[in-house]
Amino acid sequence: MEINKEININQTNSINQVRYGCAIGALYSVSSIPGAMPIVNCGPGCADKQYTGLAFYNGFQGGGYSGGAVSPSSNAGENEVVFGGENRLRELIKSSLKIMEAELFVVLTGCIGEIVGDDVGAVVGEFQKKGAPIVYAETGGFKGNNFVGHELVTKAIIDQYVGEYSGEKEEGLINVWSLLPYQNTFWRGDLTEIKRVLEGAGLKVNILFGPESKGVSEWKDIPKAQFNLVLSPWLGLDTAKHLKSKYGQPFLHIPTVPIGAKETSEFLRKVVDFAGIDKQKSEEFIKEEEKNYYYYLEHFADFYAEYWWGLPAKYAVVGDSAYNLALNKFLVNQLGLIPARQIITENPPEQYRRAIAGEYSKLAEDVSADVDFAEDGYVIGQLLKQTDFGHKPPIIFGTTWERDTAKELKGAIIEVGFPASYEVVLARTYIGYKGALNLLEKIYTTAISASA
Amino acid sequence: MAQKKINLDIPEVESREQRLGTIIAWDGKASELSRQSSYERRGCEGKGKQCRLCEVKGPFTQGSVCSEQMVECQAGNVRDAVLIQHSPIGCGVGQVPYNSIYRNGLALRNLPVENIRIICTNLDESDMVFGGVKKLKQSIKDAFERYSPKAIFLSTSCATGIIGEDMESVASEAEKEIGIPVIPLACEGFRSKHWSTGFDATQHGILRKIVRKNPKKQEDLINVINLWGSDVFTPMLGELGLRVNYVVDLATVEDLAQLSEAAATVGFCYTLSSYMAAALEQEFGVPEIKAPQPYGFAGTDAWLREIGRVTNREELAEAFIKKEHERIKPKLEELRKKLKGIKGYVATGSAYAHGLITVLRELGVEVNGSLVFHHDPVYDSGDPKQDSLKFLIDNYDDVPSFSVSNRQQYQFYGLLKKTNPDFILIRHNGLAPLASRLGIPAAPLGDEHLAIGYDGMINLGEAVLDVLAHKKFHQDLKEHVKLPYTKWWLDQEDPYILAKEPEILNEKII
Repeated sequence: MEINKEININQTNSINQVRYGCAIGALYSVSSIPGAMPIVNCGPGCADKQYTGLAFYNGFQGGGYSGGAVSPSSNAGENEVVFGGENRLRELIKSSLKIMEAELFVVLTGCIGEIVGDDVGAVVGEFQKKGAPIVYAETGGFKGNNFVGHELVTKAIIDQYVGEYSGEKEEGLINVWSLLPYQNTFWRGDLTEIKRVLEGAGLKVNILFGPESKGVSEWKDIPKAQFNLVLSPWLGLDTAKHLKSKYGQPFLHIPTVPIGAKETSEFLRKVVDFAGIDKQKSEEFIKEEEKNYYYYLEHFADFYAEYWWGLPAKYAVVGDSAYNLALNKFLVNQLGLIPARQIITENPPEQYRRAIAGEYSKLAEDVSADVDFAEDGYVIGQLLKQTDFGHKPPIIFGTTWERDTAKELKGAIIEVGFPASYEVVLARTYIGYKGALNLLEKIYTTAISASA
Repeated sequence: MAQKKINLDIPEVESREQRLGTIIAWDGKASELSRQSSYERRGCEGKGKQCRLCEVKGPFTQGSVCSEQMVECQAGNVRDAVLIQHSPIGCGVGQVPYNSIYRNGLALRNLPVENIRIICTNLDESDMVFGGVKKLKQSIKDAFERYSPKAIFLSTSCATGIIGEDMESVASEAEKEIGIPVIPLACEGFRSKHWSTGFDATQHGILRKIVRKNPKKQEDLINVINLWGSDVFTPMLGELGLRVNYVVDLATVEDLAQLSEAAATVGFCYTLSSYMAAALEQEFGVPEIKAPQPYGFAGTDAWLREIGRVTNREELAEAFIKKEHERIKPKLEELRKKLKGIKGYVATGSAYAHGLITVLRELGVEVNGSLVFHHDPVYDSGDPKQDSLKFLIDNYDDVPSFSVSNRQQYQFYGLLKKTNPDFILIRHNGLAPLASRLGIPAAPLGDEHLAIGYDGMINLGEAVLDVLAHKKFHQDLKEHVKLPYTKWWLDQEDPYILAKEPEILNEKII
C-alpha cells in the first residue's frame, strides 16, 4: 500500500458519514403503506440498523405500526448460512401470518439469503398459492441503496399483489411517485401537502405512502389511474415506465418538487394541462392559495428588508437530488440567495445525472450553479471547506454530518435530510404553499437565534 | 475454581454461547434460572455440560441486534482510531445512530464534540463474486491519509463472512506498511445468537493488538469498562485515591494501551466487562474486582470494600462507605415515601438488569418482573462472587416473572399484561414503544451510569418520579392506537406458547 503525501479528495469506494440506507432499508417503504407489514429475511441486526438510522436518528420519525422492533425478522444465524434459510423463512412466514395483523406482507431478503441462494420466490409462492396476501423482493444490501430497494419493492407489490387489470381508467385520478419515505425526513408532511394542492386543483390522488394514503386498497387502485406523476428528479421513473408497459398508463415527469407560490402554481398548471381537466377550479384554488401565501410574505418583508444584523447571502445544499433541486429553485427565485456549492449525495443512476445537472444550469434566467455528485463525508467536507462563501457566514442546508463543518465555517446549519439527528419532525412540510412558509421560519429563526 | 482460559492466540473471538453457554430465550422465576445456571459447578462435575441451559426457542422472531453493531459502539468510539466496516452499505447505516450517541457522549464528558470516524467499504454485487480485498485496502489507505489515526479497526460483516474474505492477511500487510495497529474484529451478525459477542470481539482485538505487552505498573490507576456514561466513577474512586481509566468508548488508543498497567479493573455491568477484565487478569495480572456490581447499598459497599482490599486502600474505603451512608439515607427516605406503592419493571441487558432491580428495591419500588435480552450462566472469570443474579436473589429476594427474550416485542406484550407495572426501565430501543401504546411510561437510561453507587439510588428515584409524570401522555395514546398483533396473539396467556407448542401453527392460518 502506497501512502501519498498529498491527501486525496477523490471519491473512492469508502463511505464515511453514510447518507442513505441499503436496499433492505426499503422495509420502510413497506412500513409507510398503511396496512402493509414488512418481513425481513436477513441477519439479526439489519432491521435495527435501518430503523435507528432512517426512522429514529433521522427526525425521530418513529417506527409506527409495522416498523421499529415490530417487523418480523428471520435473524439468520450460522445454521441458515450453512444449510440455507428456506425452512427458517417458511416457519417465520407461517408464524407471522398467525401473529401479525396486516392486509399485505412483503418479504425483503438481505445479504445472507441472497448470497447463500435461498429460493425465496418458491417459499413465498407456497403461501401465495394458498391465497395469503404476501409478496417478496430481493433486496440484498450489495445491490444498492434504499432508493434502489424502494423501486424493487414497489414493483414487487404491483406485479405480485395488484396484478393484471383490464378495466376502465378513471379520469383525473393520478398515482404520485415522489419523495422517498423516511429517507426524506419531511416526507409525511410533504406528501400531505402534495396531495392537498393536487386535490385543490381538481385531481383525485393515490398518494400511496403515509398517513394520507388509503393504504393497501389504494394500491389496488393504481391501474385505474389516468396517468402517473413522477415528482422527483429520477426516483419513480422506473416504476412509471413499468406501469406504462403494464397498464398502458402515460406518465408526466416533473423533476422539481415545488416550494413556494411561484413553483407550486406552475407545477399545478402543468399537471392540470396534462390531465386535461377543467382549469377553472385549479385557477380558483391557485388564486386563493396565493392570496394567503402573499399575505404572509408581505408581513415577512418588513423583517427581510430591514433587519439590522445581517442575514446570510450565500448557501450550500448537501443532500438528495429531490430536495437539493427544490431548495435551490426556491432560495434563488423566491429569496434571491446566492448558490455557492451544491452537492448531490444519493448516488443517482449515471443515466440521469446529466439531466439533473442541466436543471441547475437554469435555476433562474440569470442564475446557474454547478453540482457535485459525492457520497463520502470526507470529500463533502473538503468541498465545503474549499468553497468561497464571500464576506458573510454561509448557511448550509445539509445533514447532521455537516454540523462540524458549519461550525468551522462559522455558518448556520439547517438539517434538511438524512440523517437529521438534531431535528424532531412530525407533520412539518417544507414544500408547496404551506411548507415554504415553514421553511422561511426555520431558515431565519436559525440565522438570527445564533446572532446574539 | 476451574476456569476456562481465554485464548488470545486465535484471531477470532470465541462466541458467548461457546464460552459461557449463553441463552436468549427462557421464562420462569429468577431463582429457578439461577439454579439451572449452576454457577459453582461450572466445568467441574458436569465437564462443562451443566452450564448448557435449555432454551425456549420458537419459530417467530422480530428484528434484534447484531454483534457488528456492538463493534461500532465500541471500536467505532475510540477517539483517535478509525473503524472500517468491510461490508455492503447497509451495515454502514449504523454510523448514523452511533454518531449521534458519540456526539452526545462527548458532550456529557466535556470532550470536544465531533463526528464519528467510521468508514464503510461499500461492497457491491461484483465484490460478492470476486471479493472485496482491493476495496478494503483502499479504505485503509483513505483512513490513514485522511485522519492520521493511532489505530485502525476492521469489522467483518455477514457478507464478507460468507464469501470468506481474508482480513487477517490484509491487516498484517497494512500494519507493516503504515506502522500502526490494524485490527480485524470478527463480528458477523450470524456468528453468534447474541450481539454481546460483539463486545468480546472488540475487546479481543484490543487485547491482542493494542494493550501494552510490557506494562509499567501504575499503582493508582483503575480501569473502568463502560460505554458513554457520565463521569460518576471519579468522584467515588477519587475518594480512594484512584485515577479512572475509562474504556472502551470515548477512550484514546493510549488509554487502551495502558489497560495492562492498572491496579485493578471494574465495570458497570458484567455483560460488558466480563471478557476484557478476565483477560487482563489472566494475561497481565491486573486483578478483576470480583464482587457484586456497584448498585444499591449492599452491592456498592461490597464492591468498594473489594476495591479497597485489592488496591490496599481499605481504610479509605471504609471511611467513604460510612460517610456516604449517612449522606444518602435521609434523601433515600424521602424518595421511598414518594415511591410507595409504585410497581416497576426492568427490561435491559442482562447483568445490568440485576443491578437496576436492586436499586429499585432499595427505593421501595416493587419489582415483580424483568426481561433481559440474554442470560450468561457464568461470566469469564468463573468466579461465584460475580454471580450477579444470585446476589440479587439472596439480598433482595426473588423476581417472580423473569424472562429472557432477545428484544422480542411480541412477547413483551404478555409479560406486561401479567406484571402490570407503573413504569419500565429500558436502555436499548424497541420495547418502550410497545409499553407506551399500553399506557406505560419508560425511563430510558441513556447515561448508563445513572443508577451506579450511592448517588445512583437517588438519581434513579428522581428519574422514576419524572417518568411517572409522563404517564398522562401514554395513557392518552393508549386510547387511540391499535396494536399490530392479531386478537389470537393478544389473547394468549403464555408469551412462549409457540416455542412450547409449535403444532399450533398447523392450525388454519388464513
